Amino acid sequence: MPLLATKDLRVTYGGLRALDDVDIEVEQGRLVGLIGPNGAGKTTFIDALTGFTPATGGIRFADRDITKLPAHRRARLGLQRTWQSLELFDDLNVVENLQVAADRQSTGGFLLDLVRPGRPRDRSAVEQALATLGLEELRTRMPGELSQGQRKLVGVARALTAGPQLVCLDEPAAGLDPTESQAFGAELRKMVDRGVTIFLVDHDMSLVLTVCDYLYVMEFGQIIAQGTPAQIRADARVIAAYLGDQGARNDPPETSP
Amino acid sequence: MTSSVTVARIGRIIAAVAGVALLAVVLTDHDQVTAVFGGIGSGALYAAIALGVVLTYKGSGVVNFANGATAMYVAYIYDSLRTQGQIFLPPLPNPLALVEGALHAAGATGINLPDWPTQIGTGTPMNFWPAMLISLAASVVLGLLFHFLIFRPLRGAPPLAKVVASVGLFILLQAIVTLRFTSQALAIEPIMRKQPVTFPGDLVIPFDDLVLAIIVVVVTAVLWAVFRFTRFGLATRAAAENEKGAVLLGFSPDVLAGTNWVLSTVLTGAFGILAASINSFIDPFTVSLLIVAALAAALLGNFSSFWLTTGAAFGIAMTQSWLGFLGTKDWFPHAGSGPIPGVKEALPFLLIVLVLFLRGDRLPTRGTIAVGRLPFSPRPANVAVRAVIAGGLCLLGLLTLSSQWRTAITITLVGTIVCLSLVVLTGFLGQISLAQMTLAGVSGFALSKLVTDWNVPFPIGPLLGATAAAVFGLLTAIPALRVRGVNLAVVTLAFAVTIETFVFKNPSWNGGLRGAAVPPPHLFGLKFGPNDVTSFGDGKLPNPFFGVFCLIVVMVLALIVVNVRRSVTGRQMLAVRSNERAAAAVGINVAGTKMLAFGLAAFVAGLGGALSGYNFGSVTALTFGSIASLTILAFAYLGGISSVTGAVLGGCIVTGGIVFTGLQEWFHVDQKYSLYVGGLGLIVTAILNPEGIAGAFRKGVERLTRTSARRRVPGPPPVPATEDA
Repeated sequence: MPLLATKDLRVTYGGLRALDDVDIEVEQGRLVGLIGPNGAGKTTFIDALTGFTPATGGIRFADRDITKLPAHRRARLGLQRTWQSLELFDDLNVVENLQVAADRQSTGGFLLDLVRPGRPRDRSAVEQALATLGLEELRTRMPGELSQGQRKLVGVARALTAGPQLVCLDEPAAGLDPTESQAFGAELRKMVDRGVTIFLVDHDMSLVLTVCDYLYVMEFGQIIAQGTPAQIRADARVIAAYLGDQGARNDPPETSP
Repeated sequence: MTSSVTVARIGRIIAAVAGVALLAVVLTDHDQVTAVFGGIGSGALYAAIALGVVLTYKGSGVVNFANGATAMYVAYIYDSLRTQGQIFLPPLPNPLALVEGALHAAGATGINLPDWPTQIGTGTPMNFWPAMLISLAASVVLGLLFHFLIFRPLRGAPPLAKVVASVGLFILLQAIVTLRFTSQALAIEPIMRKQPVTFPGDLVIPFDDLVLAIIVVVVTAVLWAVFRFTRFGLATRAAAENEKGAVLLGFSPDVLAGTNWVLSTVLTGAFGILAASINSFIDPFTVSLLIVAALAAALLGNFSSFWLTTGAAFGIAMTQSWLGFLGTKDWFPHAGSGPIPGVKEALPFLLIVLVLFLRGDRLPTRGTIAVGRLPFSPRPANVAVRAVIAGGLCLLGLLTLSSQWRTAITITLVGTIVCLSLVVLTGFLGQISLAQMTLAGVSGFALSKLVTDWNVPFPIGPLLGATAAAVFGLLTAIPALRVRGVNLAVVTLAFAVTIETFVFKNPSWNGGLRGAAVPPPHLFGLKFGPNDVTSFGDGKLPNPFFGVFCLIVVMVLALIVVNVRRSVTGRQMLAVRSNERAAAAVGINVAGTKMLAFGLAAFVAGLGGALSGYNFGSVTALTFGSIASLTILAFAYLGGISSVTGAVLGGCIVTGGIVFTGLQEWFHVDQKYSLYVGGLGLIVTAILNPEGIAGAFRKGVERLTRTSARRRVPGPPPVPATEDA
């Protein structure tokens, strides 16, 4: 049983099918990638998975049907994501950005907060995420004071803090230089070794092809190929899609062997 | 795109339903036809104000809550030209007044230094046309002032700041008129004759209503044509979508915004004069509050279509007039001797909620360059020290100062409570409420009912009252789950007006002219109401122990609000305020967090309302009206909306609080200037210093400590754990 599986996932904007019956599976403990040209529907797919855009079809996650759950419930089940546009909480400092993801609140907890706001909470997840991404020095800085690269790392750390089973990373390496990107790839592998399953969306072909265990290729809202990095590298349709060959686009969508 | 399609569809459905209903009525009953067309004059007024709102929204992306107040202001200019040949000036700061105050304090009471003039003009009453033209010229000046001094500097500000500034403008315009003319209504000589015109089918419409309606329709057509066919209109529409687009067409968005502001104030001003003439009177409130119905009409027109807006305005007014007619029937629910009040006022409110709820998302958004930040909410520091100092000073004042000062301190304490509720809602959660005094009033009126009718004992009464307020707070939160920013401000203002007329002015609730009585509190036989005489101190009223009781409540509530900010709950609220999508993505229940903040804020405000009831011995519609809600927001924002310190400072500057009592005592500045200062201060705060006085103070302290820290050896590295013990 895969950790995550989508069945005929479809998103329509007006008359346009942004996602057209997408079936994707992510096995526990693996690093699965999704690549595709700009506008292929990669971010829409993450939005649909995590509950930020209405979709039809089915999504199963950790043996539950989550298709109808609101976004925050999916997040609490351990389905976390990062954002391409770096949606940090600008009014909270780095450590608070992480704490907010780690804390779960109950009604009783709220009432207790009114009298004892500072009762000790488990901070190990926050500390571990800060350490993993090398952010200890920045803990009291405000997001506005950070560089673009640092903000990205805080976004990833925040997703990790929430105790995820699966993290969807939306173009985490965009804007990183090749060396940074390579180091980031190594960090991703370490996270997988620690038991976090990762679903990585990126354009950076060299990163995706080196770190992923399995890949899906998307174009015009459809999966046009899937396989191991080696299989994808050799796939004619993928090469055509990336070169923008008209002939390849008109081919009926198929899956690679 | 999809949203405007939906809105157009909703608009069409509503229009169709209204049309069919109207037709049915026309076919059945002559009296009803007359009643429906009796609303044509108010419809024209709503439309006039709504058109101004749509114009400024198209031109600058500002929803101008002060547009009704602008109409009222220009009408006063016209009237004072007609009757006295003078234009009144707003009160200007006069440095000589301070010198004079000091001289008087030193005993030299005979010296009077010159003041700014309050009026300029010939003193000879003017004829209609010169008065009208000068009033319109004054409208041009107002439009330019609004644009250049207020809304242009706020171009990149978050929607909250723009709403707050336009609320400040509302208060300011009203305060100026009240200072110059008092709040009493003035009779105005009508411009047009009122003889009714008879139409086929014995339909009778007053001549002036008919003329106004025709003018409004013509103006709507002209505006539509201008925006449809001229380059100016095209550029404004382009700028509304994307400011860069207008630049490419060779127009400066700034000039476009300014032009639209001037167009809007001139139109609004002209209609303000006509409105005054039709009503035969002016006062600072009536026309100002027409903004609620006008906003409903503008919303139905999606803030872009002139025709839909005008049509909706007529539809609302004619339905209201029809409801008024139904109120004369026996089967209509009654309260006291008349039909239940507030049915007319509830109509725009229901329409607003319906439209916003069906549509869900915000107004058509505007592609501006950058959106600024909301006021920073600092982590509470040195809570114990501050609490002991502020509480100690307050206690000392209550036990030693004169009766006048005890009253001022109590009013400050009550004001602080309502400001605290706004800190939770606006400061932490970033949601705006123009109904906070209304919620306080719900609690006050409930308390009055509970104690006088059912003898509910002391601590339970106010707690139940606050709970009632919390229930109403949760009701206002329901629209907030789907709408935010400006739209929420519109909803809450309409809510405030509705509850004000529906409950506070309802004769079966409000206890008539003297207000609904709130008997003094007592616990274990100990009476500590403000009018319970005690032998302590000077033995005069108010009883100092009532102040002490208020102080205890304030201290507890302030601690609770501080704790919210320091805890998970507060972080979740700030996360929702920063970014709702990202908050949901980390597992925060956005809807739940909003409900919690609205409920808590309403509960806190409700306790404020209960204390206010005890303090005055009664609750009245005036204390808790919509205007009171606007002004408390002004004081809370001016004090500092994002911290408890700000709420305390906000409480200090409310009307009747310690600051104005001090100004009156020592500088002979009248209390009536407090609203003027509040409105002006609110605008200045929104533009220059969104964190208010508390924020300015905090930044000053930070700068000082940074300078002194630089002289010392670098300190130890920051402590890893940031959680307060």
